[in-house]
Amino acid sequence: MAVDELVDYITAEVRAVIGARSDWIEAPHPVEASENRRFFQALMDPNPRFWDEAHARTTRYGGVVTPPAFAVHAFRRPAGELNDSLAAAGDPDFDGVSRAMRPGLPKLPVPLSGILNGGYEYEFFSYPKVGERILCRSAYLDIYQKQGKSGPMVMVVIEDEYRTADGRPLLKSLNTMIMR
Amino acid sequence: MAEPVYFESVAVGDDIPVLAKGPMTTAHIIRWSAAMENWHKIHYDWRYATGHDGLPDVLVNGSWKQHVLAQLLVDWAGETGWLWKMNFQYRGMNIPGDTLTAWGRVTGTRRRADYGVVELEIGLKDQNGREGSPGTASVVLPLKGGPGVPYPFDPAVLH
Repeated sequence: MAVDELVDYITAEVRAVIGARSDWIEAPHPVEASENRRFFQALMDPNPRFWDEAHARTTRYGGVVTPPAFAVHAFRRPAGELNDSLAAAGDPDFDGVSRAMRPGLPKLPVPLSGILNGGYEYEFFSYPKVGERILCRSAYLDIYQKQGKSGPMVMVVIEDEYRTADGRPLLKSLNTMIMR
Repeated sequence: MAEPVYFESVAVGDDIPVLAKGPMTTAHIIRWSAAMENWHKIHYDWRYATGHDGLPDVLVNGSWKQHVLAQLLVDWAGETGWLWKMNFQYRGMNIPGDTLTAWGRVTGTRRRADYGVVELEIGLKDQNGREGSPGTASVVLPLKGGPGVPYPFDPAVLH
């Protein structure tokens, strides 16, 4: 048995953050038409409600909207964030991934380097319109350890609630991140 | 605009129209990564993906695949229905050359107040029929002659 199969990553320090919930945090900028365009073009989904304002005004959305789960990607690097996210690009082990799970949630004291997205459970209420500001509140609902084929895995279950600045609910999600 | 789908026209076992994307290329993958500002090297650095991480190739982003499932269901529900819930697991990897087909099959129907809720099994298969993102969904549909599902959607309308 490999030594790391015996390691319990769910330490008291990790248990202490289960249940931690962030405040409502606003995305660095309102939804931009060009950001939305790059998004739906990369999805190869040219529905006119994403770009044709005249058409979108006649729909129940009342204007151009984003694809349904856009909000989960709205939390970009703020313009004033000066740390280069590729500063470590010369390191052969650098994988390009931020280890910060969510803005406003504490970093997890788990010494595992790999990170994978296990999946989502979504509940949708409305779609953001171009120009609207998006807010998110997150919580560590659960953190537990499982034995995977290649060693131990720490499963991190995060609940996210998204709404607009005027309080309209957008979506709720449960996301399972896998550290290994 | 497509004809609205009414609850009464849906039966358990029905397949909804599929949605295919691909074949996927590295250009499609980096277009999505750039739009997301996701710099995970497994999506664009072949040497890193295969050498360091032991993957078969660079990978199609899971974050991209989830929106294909959402599009499948939103397109089917139309402008009078609503994609209420959707869940899936990332089980399989997809690589350049893959064509992905999102599919859905009705597993249950429930009348709720002035609307109908349709439960579906969903997934995203590659060109060899291998399922990589299995999940389930709930779509709210209007009844024939009834009102469209209110927007913004509030689950309280189902009680």
